[in-house]
Amino acid sequence: MSLLSIRDLIVRFRTHDGTVYAVNGVSFDLDEGETLGLVGESGCGKSVTNLAVMRLLPSPAGHIDGGSVIFEGEDLLTLDESEMRDLRGKEIAMIFQDPMTSLNPVLTIEEQMVETIQAHRRVSKSEARTRTLELLGMVGIPQPEARLKNFPHQFSGGMRQRVMIAMALALEPKLLIADEPTTALDVTIQAQVLELLGRLAAEHGTAVILITHDLGVVAGMTQRINVMYAGYVVEAAVTGDLFARPRHPYTVGLLHSIPRLDAQPGEPLIPIEGAPPDLRFAPVGCPFAPRCAWRVDACWQTMPPLDPIDSGRQFVATGLRATHRAACWNPPTSEEAVAARPLRVGFEPAAPPAEVRA
Amino acid sequence: MSEMSPQTGAPASGVPGQTAGTQPSTARPLLEISDLRMFFPITQGILISRHVGDVRAVDGVSLSIQRGDTVGLVGESGCGKSTVGRTILRLYRPTGGRIVFDGQDITTAEGASLRAVRRSMQMIFQDPYASLNPRMTAAGIVSEPLEIHGVGAKSERQQRVRDLLATVGMDPSYGDRFPHEFSGGQRQRIGVARALALHPDLIVADEPISALDVSIQAQIINLLERLQSEFGLTYLFIAHDLSVVRHISDRIAVMYLGRIVETAGSRELYERPLHPYSVALLSAVPIPDPVVEGRRRRIILTGDVPSPANPPSGCHFHTRCWLRERLGNPERCVAEDPVLRPLSSGHQVACHFAEEVDGSAEQVLVTGRTPAPSGVAAPVPPPTAPTRPSPRPHDRG
Repeated sequence: MSLLSIRDLIVRFRTHDGTVYAVNGVSFDLDEGETLGLVGESGCGKSVTNLAVMRLLPSPAGHIDGGSVIFEGEDLLTLDESEMRDLRGKEIAMIFQDPMTSLNPVLTIEEQMVETIQAHRRVSKSEARTRTLELLGMVGIPQPEARLKNFPHQFSGGMRQRVMIAMALALEPKLLIADEPTTALDVTIQAQVLELLGRLAAEHGTAVILITHDLGVVAGMTQRINVMYAGYVVEAAVTGDLFARPRHPYTVGLLHSIPRLDAQPGEPLIPIEGAPPDLRFAPVGCPFAPRCAWRVDACWQTMPPLDPIDSGRQFVATGLRATHRAACWNPPTSEEAVAARPLRVGFEPAAPPAEVRA
Repeated sequence: MSEMSPQTGAPASGVPGQTAGTQPSTARPLLEISDLRMFFPITQGILISRHVGDVRAVDGVSLSIQRGDTVGLVGESGCGKSTVGRTILRLYRPTGGRIVFDGQDITTAEGASLRAVRRSMQMIFQDPYASLNPRMTAAGIVSEPLEIHGVGAKSERQQRVRDLLATVGMDPSYGDRFPHEFSGGQRQRIGVARALALHPDLIVADEPISALDVSIQAQIINLLERLQSEFGLTYLFIAHDLSVVRHISDRIAVMYLGRIVETAGSRELYERPLHPYSVALLSAVPIPDPVVEGRRRRIILTGDVPSPANPPSGCHFHTRCWLRERLGNPERCVAEDPVLRPLSSGHQVACHFAEEVDGSAEQVLVTGRTPAPSGVAAPVPPPTAPTRPSPRPHDRG
């Protein structure tokens, strides 16, 4: 049994500007101790998916309109708020992008951490304090004793993120959701924090969902990756497979549009033309179709299912043998993935149907 | 429009002379700054403000940019790279040093003479949401520099704005729309069009793509490269992302805490970094390839960047330096400011012990390249490389 199993999750926001179709049927599984990367651009639904798992969607706009989130055999979407509160932090913890806004600025680090521990564990204040010291030492805060009485603003960005990691791991959760944990940090500090996160997760056997837009970060940190676009998972694969044999046109485009430090100088970038879709319109067909060089007529009509690309093999959802899947009616061949364009003779991307053009 | 555009095309077969483009040539540079200092005062007191110290944002930076080149300025937040860019454009009055633009000393220029120089240097900003006036149309934004400098009659300006929008890949009919009606990438295109309006020689691009979505970033990089080869532009490209800087730049200057610690051709810097900080910085950049990532080793720097209000003595990097530790913490790093000294042609390093970096295990680990896909012929050639035969098709092949 998987630790976490999300099925057909649908999340919408009802705003003054109309409904925002944020997550449009996302399914994935996660095993204990596994590290999964969720990759995509801003607005692709990667953060919203996880806020839905934590039941922390902004209210009253955010609504879970369908699906299930099974965590250790229990559907989190059916729990009431007090049961959910009991679970947050203890079973599932979260680290956010901006450590300044996710720590309470008017409480000292000691007060915040002791509060977190005592909220879930029946321990005395001094026991909680001892645990706090141990945790701060674990995440590499120098002189933790002296830092206990400090406020968040007295810490640097990297140190704050270390405090966040210490708090997230305080209750030894089974699942840690890290939402762009290093995006606000400098690259040398990012290296420190990622190294710490990876090491601690491995030591404690914590499963991690790492949300990021940075393909470089997931390449070194994860076992599996889900690529998201406009509220859908469009490709899912074991990390090595995804980079070596991308099979969705969006993944192919992403990999060609970022400069690599180890590339030959002068190697041209091949951008993805156009821009991500406006999520205020109900999705029709594949949301990537307007930007896709491989699109066929069906792409304008129906969203393709996230199917295994080597059919015939037995389907595996998690682990290092997970089946490579892509939601595409006309996936690029491996030669085309290298060239970043269709190579079939005479192939033209399908023109949009009349009603889309209008 | 500049009279000379040194790289107007044909990157086709190896032009040997072009290779030297990465080296400082004898021609007069378009921009030369020497020993530039920019301190911001820290004051205390409410009624009578006392000067109690300085944030030494830029602390003795020398840099020269040849016409038509792209120089990348990299460093972490707070290292002073943006302040360098803004001081060059004379948005600040420098505390010390000299800025010479196209032969003219503009260090203390003011009023009309400063305005005249500013026509030739323009800026592209990081945040396309904050850098466009929300109450002006796209056409109004692009035409404002023309109006300020009194270029052409109204009808000419309108035509020029349409041309500019087309140049940056936008439909000229979008001119009467407002910034909020555009996506981030389109807004950045408007910012680029505004920067181009006065035919500048130098464009300072301060993190021009870091606020954009990944799939849009490449569009803007390619646009900047195309415009450079079309108009012979000179870029100072300021960014924290080494991969992007390496992609677009001919030369790279690495900054740490207000100073340039290393400057080299962009290929040389990657193949043979000689400052311990550059080595650590290169090692920290994640590469989107799990095979490469699995093989690489990171040099994890301990601690944080010290405050520029109170920088460490001697070498600013000595508090975090892995090499200093290795060498048994020599006193020289604490006592003596390292000067930027040439170690090979076009490669300068500010480290007393840069020779120890060359050939060190750390340097090899960071630059150790994938044998097959990168297509480097020799197995990690001894990287003294003035005899590189390959052309530099940086103006996009």
